[in-house]
Amino acid sequence: MEIERVKEKILEGRPGFPRQYGPDRADHQPGIPFFPQEATRDFVVIFLLTAIMFFLSAYLTPFLGPARSPQISELIVPDWYLLFSWGLLKIADIFPQFVIGPGTPLETRFDAAFWGDLLSGIPVIFLLLVPFLDRGRETRPAKAPVRSAVGLGFIIAWTFTASLYSIREVVAERWQTPDVDPSEAVSTAAALIPDDTMKMFFLVPPILVGLASYVALRRLGFAPMRRWIVPLCVAGAAIAAGHAAAILALPGWLPPLVQPYALPLAGFLAILAGSSVLAAAAVVLLPESRARKAVLLVGAAGLALFLGLFIAMDRTDPIGLLFILGILYPNMNTLLFLPSFVVLTAWFGLRRPYSTYEFLLNECYQCGKCHTVCPVTKVEDDALGGLNLVYNTFKKQHDGVPLWTCLACDACSAVCPLDIKYSDYILEERARSYGRLAADGSGPE
Amino acid sequence: MMTSTDPEYGPGRTIPHPVLFRLLDSEADDTTVPEIKVDRSPEYAYYPGCIDYYDQEMQFSHVNYGETNHGIIFDSSIKLLRAVGIEPTILDRSFMKCCGHDQLWQGKVDVFKKMRDYNTKIIKMLGVKTLVTSCAEGYRTFRLDYKLDGVRVVHITQILYERGLRVPPQAEGKRIRVAYQDPCRSCRQMPVDPVYEEPRELIKRVNNADLVELKTFRADAQCCGVAQMMYCNDKTKGLTAKRMDEASDVDADYLLTACPKCLTHFGCLHHENKWKPGEERYRYRVMDITQFLAERIPGDYPTGGNVDARRKDPPLPGRKGGSS
Repeated sequence: MEIERVKEKILEGRPGFPRQYGPDRADHQPGIPFFPQEATRDFVVIFLLTAIMFFLSAYLTPFLGPARSPQISELIVPDWYLLFSWGLLKIADIFPQFVIGPGTPLETRFDAAFWGDLLSGIPVIFLLLVPFLDRGRETRPAKAPVRSAVGLGFIIAWTFTASLYSIREVVAERWQTPDVDPSEAVSTAAALIPDDTMKMFFLVPPILVGLASYVALRRLGFAPMRRWIVPLCVAGAAIAAGHAAAILALPGWLPPLVQPYALPLAGFLAILAGSSVLAAAAVVLLPESRARKAVLLVGAAGLALFLGLFIAMDRTDPIGLLFILGILYPNMNTLLFLPSFVVLTAWFGLRRPYSTYEFLLNECYQCGKCHTVCPVTKVEDDALGGLNLVYNTFKKQHDGVPLWTCLACDACSAVCPLDIKYSDYILEERARSYGRLAADGSGPE
Repeated sequence: MMTSTDPEYGPGRTIPHPVLFRLLDSEADDTTVPEIKVDRSPEYAYYPGCIDYYDQEMQFSHVNYGETNHGIIFDSSIKLLRAVGIEPTILDRSFMKCCGHDQLWQGKVDVFKKMRDYNTKIIKMLGVKTLVTSCAEGYRTFRLDYKLDGVRVVHITQILYERGLRVPPQAEGKRIRVAYQDPCRSCRQMPVDPVYEEPRELIKRVNNADLVELKTFRADAQCCGVAQMMYCNDKTKGLTAKRMDEASDVDADYLLTACPKCLTHFGCLHHENKWKPGEERYRYRVMDITQFLAERIPGDYPTGGNVDARRKDPPLPGRKGGSS
């Protein structure tokens, strides 16, 4: 039947509303596919380079240089961009270590070095898999929130925390608890940030960064993020408040040395947990615009109070401050990161985006097809002078003439290679313009 | 600037439509929903839209004494729906409001919301399962801008095609060339179920009709020149003339459309063109697709055709022309 055939053609790749972007979009896919066209070419280059390396290593033995001098520093670190790998080698001792088939030619050592190498391969493997996992063609972060959140959380935050772990000895040396024992021989000083806490840095900050980025980017794309920020903020605030209450109330959580400083410690904990609880309450209870302002206020006040208390104690009682930090820093993941996460996620998730269709019209790359098909430009007097309705409306030029001259016939959207719905923009701008005029008491007639 | 009495151009060029919209906006202010009792919830309901308004407005503006007849769309639609075995509940203006398309696109979102909420309440109260409109704008508005969950919104050509409308063989004679204008609202602007093929298939079922395509058709079809009744000036007339010239170029005998707005503006220019009888350019008839199909089906119109006998002759020029 002809109608079915034609309908199929028209609705190709359009099961519902047309997707602005993403792999489901079947029409107007520009460029050359990654597989097999691009992949074939890349493999040729890769094999050629590998062959050259094999050849060189087989026939030319490089001079490795003299043995390492004993005078240089004990702390050996690689270049900064390989620090994350160093950190992974250091954390690898949490994995079980054993040897398979000792004494035989097939002896395999599953030691820290092996696990570290394996872990270092994960980012590389991930980068190799990305083109197969995410087949979208969007390059702007806000249009691909999942990919961008994974990128920010995994590639940036995770790499940073892994690099931080590679210098754990420096951190442990730099920030230490006070040495209360008067004798020279005995030192009670310990690292302010214990090793277990730093190990958790591999998990907690990247996940929090990823979640916050996802919420922020979806919001930038005009999604109502209430479904995400309410559980995230409430859970974060509950964990932070519960931990703070447990430290203060439950016996045995507060070490005897810190008992005298319970009052300022309670102040710190109240600021941290209180700001997260207030932000979560604002998210749940208040309407969106007021909640946004409340969260901003709570976040700013919390930061100012924390810094103020910190500086005041540093001036008056630095030893006491160190004792308090001895409680706060080992629990950094819940007591510092979570409150910041709650406040920031709430604020990002409630942020009012700048302008709806600015977001979509920004995709335009000025191919000019819309101008070519626009029927109005054929009859308007200054068509030759360039009354470009789409361009001028977007720029809000011509005193709104393009806005009200447009027929909203959508011929421009029909030819748009990026599926920008210009008529939707017209709809929104007209509603806004009419509302403004009506508010002035001079509605158009 | 030409005046409305300028015999060179006719009265239709400088008319905005404030009265019509004042009327519609003030109607929207009354939001009391009447209590309507029905024996059983109707399977099919037909929403004629504001076509009767247009007839009144055109008469009020002293524009339309030509052949354009909006009221016949209603009669033809009922006749066609009966021909495919549907006896629709008629959602007419005695208890419904305008669908709000024009208000929405003019920026009056508050007025549109009042109309939408009112109409949605009535449709839900009646329990309509399928809502049929004969208007492209109504189709788009009910389908996309309303939230009628559970109500199927169809354009009349879709339901006629789906139910298999049969057009009996026509009398032998000259074959007619029929062109179809795709309204923007039911075609390009519909991301789901655009009405491209159904009208063409229905036209092909008329055995002495040859479907001819205009220079621009389907998704590329040029606009009729006026949307949401906002302007009527030389520029919009130029667009309408451009579109009607395309129909002249393919020697069409009929220019059909599925949108009353297109019909209004084509008919207006078509009529205006007759003011200089020596230079008549548009030698075809302009009508709605429902009227075209209903004329080719035996049987009576439900209300007698709604044809004003006075309209057979073109009126005299000027504001008082044709007022007997």
